[in-house]
Parts: sequence; C-alpha cells; structure tokens
Amino acid sequence: MTARAKVLASIAVAATVALAGCQAIKQGAADIIASTGKVSQGDAQAIVKTAEVVRSTFAEITEEEEYYIGRATAALILGKYRPYRNEALNAYVNTMGTALSYYSDRPETYAGYHFLVLDTDEVNAMAAPGGFIFVTKGLVKRCGDEETLAAILAHEIGHVAARHGLQSIKKSRLIDAFKVIGSEASQRLDSEELTKLTGIFEGVLGDVVETLVERGYDRKFEYEADKLGLTFAVRTGYAPGGLAEFLVGMEERKPSGPAAGWFKTHPSPADRLARVKTETAALGAAPAKLDVRTARFAQTVKNLR
Amino acid sequence: MKKPARLTFLITAVLAVFVFLLAETVVVKIKTTSLRRDPKFTAPIVAAIKAGDSLEKLEARDGWVKVKTKAGVVGWLHSTAVEAKKLDLLAMDKTMKTQASAGEVALAAKGFNKQVEDKYRAGNAAADFAAVDAMEKVKPTPAEVEAFMKDGKLGEFGGSR
Repeated sequence: MTARAKVLASIAVAATVALAGCQAIKQGAADIIASTGKVSQGDAQAIVKTAEVVRSTFAEITEEEEYYIGRATAALILGKYRPYRNEALNAYVNTMGTALSYYSDRPETYAGYHFLVLDTDEVNAMAAPGGFIFVTKGLVKRCGDEETLAAILAHEIGHVAARHGLQSIKKSRLIDAFKVIGSEASQRLDSEELTKLTGIFEGVLGDVVETLVERGYDRKFEYEADKLGLTFAVRTGYAPGGLAEFLVGMEERKPSGPAAGWFKTHPSPADRLARVKTETAALGAAPAKLDVRTARFAQTVKNLR
Repeated sequence: MKKPARLTFLITAVLAVFVFLLAETVVVKIKTTSLRRDPKFTAPIVAAIKAGDSLEKLEARDGWVKVKTKAGVVGWLHSTAVEAKKLDLLAMDKTMKTQASAGEVALAAKGFNKQVEDKYRAGNAAADFAAVDAMEKVKPTPAEVEAFMKDGKLGEFGGSR
C-alpha cells in the first residue's frame, strides 16, 4: 500500500467510525444504553445482559407483545360484557374510529384498531392496549350527534396512542418477564419458562383490567387523552365541541352517592370540562358541526333499545 | 499503471462503504400493512408488507416514509409501522453483530406471544377469545373509510376552516 492509500484508508475508517457514532446518538436512549458498556462484553452472557438492560420498562414492550396483552384484556372485558348485536351500528363505529385513527399520532398498531359496542346500559368506554376499543350502548345513547361519539372514540384512541394501558402494568412484573425472556440465548421458551411467563402474563392482565374496569387511569392520563382526542378529532374534521357536550351531560347525571362505573374510573366531568374549554379556545379556527353527520348518526342509532 | 488502479479500487471500496452506511434500513413492526402510492391512507395500494420486512428508506415527510422493498417496489407507509433497524451500522464490529442479531432473534421468538396466549387461554375460561376474534374480523376497507369521510365532509373532503 502506498502512503497515500494508507492515508485514504485511515480516513475511511475514521469516517466510518464517526458515522456509526452519529447513528448511535440518533437512536433512542434505550438503544444508547444497549450500545454502551454492555456491547463491549465479548461472551455469550452479554446477549442476556443486553436484553435485560434494553428491556426494563413498558416502553420496551414490543408491538406484538402489546397486541397479545390487548387481545387478552379484550377477552376478559368480553367475558364480562356481551357484544351488542347491531351490525349497522358496529360498522358505523368501526368506520368512524378507523378514520379518526388515520389522523391520530399512531395510525398503525400491530393488528390495527378494532371497535365494538357492548350490550349494557352502563355508560362507559374502554381502550385495551394495541387498539381494542369498546363503547357501551348506554354511552352511545348519551351521545346526541356524531361529533360527540367521535370525541369519545378519539379520546380512547388517545389512550392507545400514548400507551396508557401498558403503563398500568407494575414494573416488577415487567422486570420478571424480561428476566424469563432474556434468560437464555435459546430461541424458544422451554416449558418451565412458558409456565413462568404465562403466570406473569396473568398478573399483567390483572393490572390492566383492574385499571380499565375498576380503578381508572391516573387522572393525568385522562387529561392527556382528552387533549389528544380533541386534537385527533379536529384533525379528522370534526367540530371540537363533542367532548364538552358529553361532559356537560355527565355532570348533570352525577350521582349524589358514592361514585360507580364511569364516575369512579374518570376524574370529575367539571374538572375535565374546564381543561377542554381552555384547549378548545387555544385551537383557534376549527371545523364546524355539519347536519349531514348529525343526520347519519340519528339514522344509525334510531333503533337502539 | 499498477498504483492508480489500486487507488481507484480503494476509492471505490471507500465509496461503497459510505453508500452502505448512508442507506437507511427500516423494519416493519406491525403484523401486516400496505405500501401506498402517496403518503395518505386512502392512496392506492402498491404492495402488501408484513412484520419483519426490511425496507430501504428513501424519504420522510409529515409522519410518512417513502421506502423501497427488496423487490424494488417504491411506496409510502406511515412511520408508526416501522422502526429503524437497530445496531445496523455497529454491525461492522463482528462481536457486536453476533450479540445484536442473537439478542434480537431471542427477543422476537420469546415474549408475550401466541404460545403464552394459548397457555393462558387453556386455564382461563372466563376470557372470551372467540369474541375477540370476531371483533378483529370487522375491518372497514380504505374505500369504505374514504366514502364515510366523503359523505361526512371529513378529512380532505372537509370544507374551509
């Protein structure tokens, strides 16, 4: 090699290393953790270490895992409530929800968004991880127009987009799960690992279902979903008043006794209303409510019993 | 002229390394989706893609990425459907490559997956998975969603604000 070639080769190596460094910086914080320290270990143990270090919080749950957590959560909800048999209403809710998802911050989830009306007069809406969204027949009956139902669906899409369901999982369970998953370099779970992981899965579902059905999200997540929902609905072309209208109606029906159902799992409608009004004002110009949408909503829900 | 020939080879090699490094690869992280002609969900579909597919990223715009498939088909997909290929550039270091690929494989095959669902399902009769399967089957087509938006004057069919 000539001296010049050697210089050129050195530049190439230096540039390559620099580029690789840049890329590492561009990657998320978790990746940086993975690429520093742990990756310098040369033995097979490092694989395990890397896996453990990379995966320690809800943010490292893969899309596929989120889907399986969401499916089982939905299965438990459907063990408690039956689907409302009304094909036209179900198609309407799914089409509207999908349109809203297109304009959300997370239009693509592992197996897409799916919506279902539950056959109960309770007023409630729930979003399982990955995009399984439920609204009750009682809630649909409380909605006066398409803008209101769209606001509810957009709020639930907000919970999915921000991965709120996954954040209700106890951290210790995730640490246990990632230990099992990263325990060996083998590619499949052996039967002992499968039993252990299924046990942890059951605990994970307990955390999520308890939050969705019994306890409710932390109020900061509800406020965040309100804000995201408002943004997604307006982006889709809906007038921003839908959520406010729903909340006013709920405030009027507020029970005087101990809170149950929706009132137990959500912050007070008055609190949310105040925030939603401020956020709506900040939007400036927004789409108007159109009769064509109100008319098709009325047509779809006219036979609800 | 031996020396210039060698130099040309070296420059070509250096350039090749650079091109390799600059070509950004993204990996599909959702089960299935469509590659579209334009950056919007109602645009015509040009190819079907699935989880794990590697795509060459050509351009990014408003939350969408323009990509090229291994078969050479170019189209758009939403950025939430893909993730940057991890440790791609660091793979130059052989040790790292071994770790990354082995680790990724292990993570891909092990986790909360079908195998875990089946085991859970066997022991939990209260969970109604059949109803979830039915729920998943209801999926409006992009054309139906577009018609819904058009009728309701939503999205790109909306009036002035």
